Amino acid sequence: MSFVVKNLFQGGKREPAEQNVRETLKSIPIFTELSRRELAAVERILHLREFKANEIIFRQEEPGLGMYIIESGRVRIVSDEMGSSVSELGDGEFFGELPLLDGGARSATAIAKTQCRIYGFFQPDLYALIERNPRLGVKIVLSLASIIGMRLRAANERMESYLARAKENGAGRAKTRTRKRMTER
Amino acid sequence: MTSTRTATLNRWIAITVIAGLVILSLLVPEVLRMVLIAVLLAYILDPIVTAIELRGLSRTVSTIVFFGFVACILWVVFAFLAPVIVEQIQTLQQGANDVRTAEVILRLQMFIRAKLGFLGLGDFDLAKSIRVFGENLRNRILDFVVNEGLSVVIHCVTIPFMVFFFLKEGRDMKKALISLVPNRYFEFSLDLLYKMDMQLGNYLRSQFTDAIAFGVLTTIALWIIDVKYFIFIGAFAGLANLIPYVGPIAGALPAVAVSLFDTGDAGKAVTVVVTFIALKLIDDVIIQPMLVAKGVNLHPLLVLVAIIAGGELFGMLGMLLAVPATGFIKVVLQESMVTLRKYRFAD
Repeated sequence: MSFVVKNLFQGGKREPAEQNVRETLKSIPIFTELSRRELAAVERILHLREFKANEIIFRQEEPGLGMYIIESGRVRIVSDEMGSSVSELGDGEFFGELPLLDGGARSATAIAKTQCRIYGFFQPDLYALIERNPRLGVKIVLSLASIIGMRLRAANERMESYLARAKENGAGRAKTRTRKRMTER
Repeated sequence: MTSTRTATLNRWIAITVIAGLVILSLLVPEVLRMVLIAVLLAYILDPIVTAIELRGLSRTVSTIVFFGFVACILWVVFAFLAPVIVEQIQTLQQGANDVRTAEVILRLQMFIRAKLGFLGLGDFDLAKSIRVFGENLRNRILDFVVNEGLSVVIHCVTIPFMVFFFLKEGRDMKKALISLVPNRYFEFSLDLLYKMDMQLGNYLRSQFTDAIAFGVLTTIALWIIDVKYFIFIGAFAGLANLIPYVGPIAGALPAVAVSLFDTGDAGKAVTVVVTFIALKLIDDVIIQPMLVAKGVNLHPLLVLVAIIAGGELFGMLGMLLAVPATGFIKVVLQESMVTLRKYRFAD
């Protein structure tokens, strides 16, 4: 029956070797700790999508449903506020993971720079997986939370160093202004 | 040919095949009906197989374990109930208590002639009407057994077979179907499907469990108050309970008729009515809140129209599925509107 289903809906399309998919997944921090069996369970709930060059994967401000893992191709992340590319991602990299947890709106737009094969990992499937296999679900959610925590910490550090620099610059500018005024007198 | 073009071509091939299957199902409605029943049963039973899967078994083994379990239960139930069922079928063939039935019919006939004579029923022959009705019913049952017997056997074999594969492969089928949606609408469709599943899944499963609970309770209650054919009437009442408003009344009518014609005692009929009212109260106050049955909040008038339309189009199955189907359409429209507002499809 699965043969019929595959033939009916995928037209006998040849999937990339399962080993390659699992290797791609294993290289992603969220799935690094998973066993081969657990990776197979994750693989079953992924949706393989193909995008043409310049096709929009998702848009800023639209509701997000999950994250994407690039199997092949390049993706540009563009922010409306900055008006330019925030970053460019390639094979094995992932993006848009925050909505997997909070289901919130997308904070940037993702555009396929070249023709891409991308795996979608979506919230409803994650919920179903948690229900079916709580141990695996918890592992994934914890990894995700840890990555988001690391990013938050890094953002905090950047913010602190930016504030410290701004303070130093502010104090420096004030000193220069006082010296200038005294010289003028 | 690039892989994107191949994907587009595959999508069109799949859509054409699905459209062909839909047309075939419409041309042969029996197939459509069987597939619908199988899909519905598989959908309702899916959480049980998933719960077995949680024990670390594969989906295939979980489905086989579930079917083995159901077969065991059916075997045990049948072994216990077979003698009672055979006895009830024999009584059904022999007919009700002739002397008492004749008495009741005569009394009813006199009542109708005396009180409803102004409606032109002054010389109404109730005994003849019942005889004609009984003959018609017997002929219909005979026709059904002769013409539909084979079909019933095919149903009994095919539907469980289909349910098995829908349970085993359902997840892959759903994934394969959703993969046909174009990229732009993919997340939207997945989101919509998930919300619909949440709302309708709970509703359908609680209705199904409620029907079984009500059927079992009715069977026990009718057995206690000694109503003939309690197994058949109980099963019918459970099934009829799925239809709002009309269902409980339709479920009680055969019990009232049987007790009235069998014993000729109006008091017994009143006992049956009171029993059904009590059962309905237990169902509304205890069973349904326990099942946390979230309704789909349909207007009563819409429910009645849907039941009539369902009955006209698909018979008994249509009446049973009218409310879930209307609820499904309502949820689809409601969620589509809410979700559509968040996406910028016009861009």
